[in-house]
Amino acid sequence: MDQLTHALTMLVTTPLVPAAIGGLIWGILGGALPGLSASITMALLLPFTYTLAPMPAIVMLGTCYIGAEYGGSIPAILIRTPGTNAAAATVLDGYEMNRQGRAGEALGISLWSGVVGGLFGLAMLVMLTEPLSRLALLFRPTTYFGLGILGLSVIASLSGKSLLKGVAAALLGLMVSTIGTDPISGVSRFTFGTPDLLDGIEPLFVMVGLYALTELMTRTGVVSSIMKPNASIRVRLPRPRMMKKIARSQAIGCTVGTLEGLMPGAGGTIASFIAYNEAKRWSKHPEEFGHGAEEGVAGPETANNAVASTALIPLLSFGIPGSNSAAVLLGGLLIHGLLPGPRLFEQNADVVTGLYTGSFIADIAQVLVGSLILPLCIWLVNRPRPYLAGFIYALILSGVYTVHMSLFDVGIVLTAGLLGYFMRYFGYPFLPAVLGVVLGNLVESNYRRSLVLSGGDLGIFLEDPIAVGFLVLAVLIVIASLANELRTARARKASVA
Amino acid sequence: MRKDLVSSAILLCIAALYYVAATGIPSSTLEDEVGPRGLPAVLAALLAMVAIAIGVRALVSAPAAAGPAKEAEAHWPRALGMLAIGALYIPVANILGYWLALVLLLLAVAVYEGMKPSWRMFAVAGGGATFFWLLFDVVLGVRQPEGLLF
Repeated sequence: MDQLTHALTMLVTTPLVPAAIGGLIWGILGGALPGLSASITMALLLPFTYTLAPMPAIVMLGTCYIGAEYGGSIPAILIRTPGTNAAAATVLDGYEMNRQGRAGEALGISLWSGVVGGLFGLAMLVMLTEPLSRLALLFRPTTYFGLGILGLSVIASLSGKSLLKGVAAALLGLMVSTIGTDPISGVSRFTFGTPDLLDGIEPLFVMVGLYALTELMTRTGVVSSIMKPNASIRVRLPRPRMMKKIARSQAIGCTVGTLEGLMPGAGGTIASFIAYNEAKRWSKHPEEFGHGAEEGVAGPETANNAVASTALIPLLSFGIPGSNSAAVLLGGLLIHGLLPGPRLFEQNADVVTGLYTGSFIADIAQVLVGSLILPLCIWLVNRPRPYLAGFIYALILSGVYTVHMSLFDVGIVLTAGLLGYFMRYFGYPFLPAVLGVVLGNLVESNYRRSLVLSGGDLGIFLEDPIAVGFLVLAVLIVIASLANELRTARARKASVA
Repeated sequence: MRKDLVSSAILLCIAALYYVAATGIPSSTLEDEVGPRGLPAVLAALLAMVAIAIGVRALVSAPAAAGPAKEAEAHWPRALGMLAIGALYIPVANILGYWLALVLLLLAVAVYEGMKPSWRMFAVAGGGATFFWLLFDVVLGVRQPEGLLF
């Protein structure tokens, strides 16, 4: 009851509502632009939040994620181009509905399903995060080391087609994390006499460079085959009868979204495809799927919106970002000096309550904002690409400058963009690199602190049962991924033979 | 396969350069057992091993079956050109100041993306730069770079 009163007080005494709505609008607009994924949309917003107080900043990022998941479905339905990866499954039936002249209905189902999935995911987030984070009260340096290694082992499931490339990307990220002042001895490393590097490289710069700038570089000069959406379309929310019809599909989306959100590396894209598949399997009319089935829009949209909340559970509890978007949110927490885990709930309860309340507001407000903003989304999608590219570039360069008011930082982002371009060109995934930058200091400093405490005895790690648990789990994850990699290689060999 | 071999060679070079740079990290009386050079040395060795493994795999493995068609992407010289526009923004902002540098950036990107110069393009660039100046300098209160001239 106290929490509820506190949350209600925050609504009128803090800028929570404008932050939630602002983040939601930004997210919908970014998600609606093909090529800007939820994580890129959030990365573009990240520098802005630096100038805000921690609570509205985190609320903005959290609600931006929610908005981007809905925004992604707009071009998926209207022009057969998913705005975000997670909206790819929505194309299958959403665009078919559009072809049948039911675009407004498809958008309404997507919007309503987003609200249902978002609220369900939020309920899971509120119920599960704090109890899990209490476990972290027992953490010692050895445990943090184990947790860091577990976080890095997630790379195995985030490496896409090649585990080796994922590991290489993570090592590059870890190398970046060693730049700056050594956490134990205080000597400077890899600064080459440059004072700007003494504090290390902000993960934020790496994320903006890798995600946003690389996208801009990759798309330059590419002739767009994107269709122009019809500006006269209006959202039509489902009536009670339709709500009943899509309820089963939404329930599947909620379940899949929760499970996938909890699993690092899974994310909204996999969740939406699994939800689509399951919705079809459990449907009374599976033959309608692919031909404009309402359930085919409801399932994936519910799932990816549920993931937008449940992906924050491992992030807020232990500081492990399981997806690109969660990694960007972690960047937001870190630049405001907020560390995920139980202390976040004790020392920065306002931020957590604000994030929950803001997400609730955004989920509800989606219905109104999503309907009102549609003409603006369509207008934006119809803008000439050269102008859009220029504005995004200006946004990146201006936003990054605001962090330390330094053009040196702009140079770091450009360097990260260069690195990102070549990583993409050679097929190396980004997220392991981001994890390396974010977790590098945690792993190194706690490993060395543990050894200082034990006088150099490695046995200290075996005396901590939670650390042992994390390390064993990390080994199991890596073994499972290696086995998977071997299986894929054998299958490839067999198919060539 | 060729791409993997090239990337393997690049990673080996990065590992070697990083290791050389790590040997230049100064010593400290506060050093622990691992020391400030400990992790960098391990990372350099691991990256070298992974790079070799990627290279070997590229040589011995069967060519991958053609996957789903990829979205069109810019060739690397063109992509680097886009990056160069951003790199030029830094000295230009230092000399001409934020607003003018941003106008030039917006114009440069539009032209680079294939748009023919027109009065409309100048208007959009000017309006865009003013919008960003108002947003950052006035609304958010964050002073953007001041140039030597403006």
